[in-house]
Amino acid sequence: MKYLRFILIVAFISMPLIAYAEYNSIDDLAKAYSDEACKSCHSKVHEEWKSSFHAQSVVHSLGGIRNFIVVGLGKEWNKPVSKEHLMRCMDCHAPQLKDASEALIKEVADLIVKAVDKKDEAAKKELAKLNVNCVVCHNMKVSIEKNLHGAPEKGTYYGPNGKASPAHKTQKSNVIMSAAFCGQCHGIYTPPDGDTIGCNTLYGSYQDAYKGNGGTETCQDCHMKKNNRGHTFPGAYQADILKEGLALDANITGIRLHPGKWIPTAIVNVGLTNKAGHRTPDG
Amino acid sequence: MTAKTDKGTVINMGKKEYWELGMDIDGDHRLGAWQIKEIIDLTLPPKKTTKESFVTELPADTKSAEVEVKVTRLAGSKSFELYRVTKKLNFEK
Repeated sequence: MKYLRFILIVAFISMPLIAYAEYNSIDDLAKAYSDEACKSCHSKVHEEWKSSFHAQSVVHSLGGIRNFIVVGLGKEWNKPVSKEHLMRCMDCHAPQLKDASEALIKEVADLIVKAVDKKDEAAKKELAKLNVNCVVCHNMKVSIEKNLHGAPEKGTYYGPNGKASPAHKTQKSNVIMSAAFCGQCHGIYTPPDGDTIGCNTLYGSYQDAYKGNGGTETCQDCHMKKNNRGHTFPGAYQADILKEGLALDANITGIRLHPGKWIPTAIVNVGLTNKAGHRTPDG
Repeated sequence: MTAKTDKGTVINMGKKEYWELGMDIDGDHRLGAWQIKEIIDLTLPPKKTTKESFVTELPADTKSAEVEVKVTRLAGSKSFELYRVTKKLNFEK
């Protein structure tokens, strides 16, 4: 009986902390999912990440998210801002918000609208605290085989080698090395209600047009491993990777056309080879 | 793609744009991610070479011309010039 009582007490104390943690401020949420502690041991990786668009996943996409809030929810669907609806965007742009209270979700939505419509820099600064950081990729989103391997353990960091660390529990993950991992957000997103979001269709093209034609490289091969790109994840906004993914073969010649009239004519034959593992352009 | 004649006249030889067109279920062009349910793929497919040809007649008295081929990638409000190739053509016998 004493044993049973102990079990019950533990359950009542720990359950709210694990399952019902709900944050009412951006600062508290950002602190709970902070990448600050990662910096001391992983400074190089952290610096790389800071320069990436993953570090700006909310503030770089404010226009589109604002349009969903104002036009999609406000005018077309005629629905109030709620966690269920905002997570259509935020499950990828700031998945930490799954632990936000409804009040915080409304605050975040207001900040997004203010940041765009009123060009409010203070609002933008607040929103910059939300992003796709270490915790998102190395814990939260690493669970694409939940039924097979279970949900990610809180406080455990999943990586390609599972090297032990004195700072936190570590586990090797094959998922984090796969294109399917990136495809969670870089492809068509299906929320629980099935009303799809066509923000990004890249992963479908990778699967059907690249792998379907014999391609074997992963997202990580080109966007991380190649040229030591690491956690900078370059893409559509970096000229070097854009150029690397596209080859131009231009053949230019001049002839005199129409016998007798001899009209000077320029003929240009161009070949554009998409060397990327997905359609281009795409987001 | 442009041609500049020896008299300095700039002639637009043509432009080809590659993009992904988002649509709703009714077949109307849409820009909002929540509205897009289908696409028309006008992009460059992976592992393939897409060929384009441009044939442009120049003014009859053109003796030489400079042809320029430019590939530009637009990403949001940014624009990246990826390639620029120029060649001088001589039409004099």
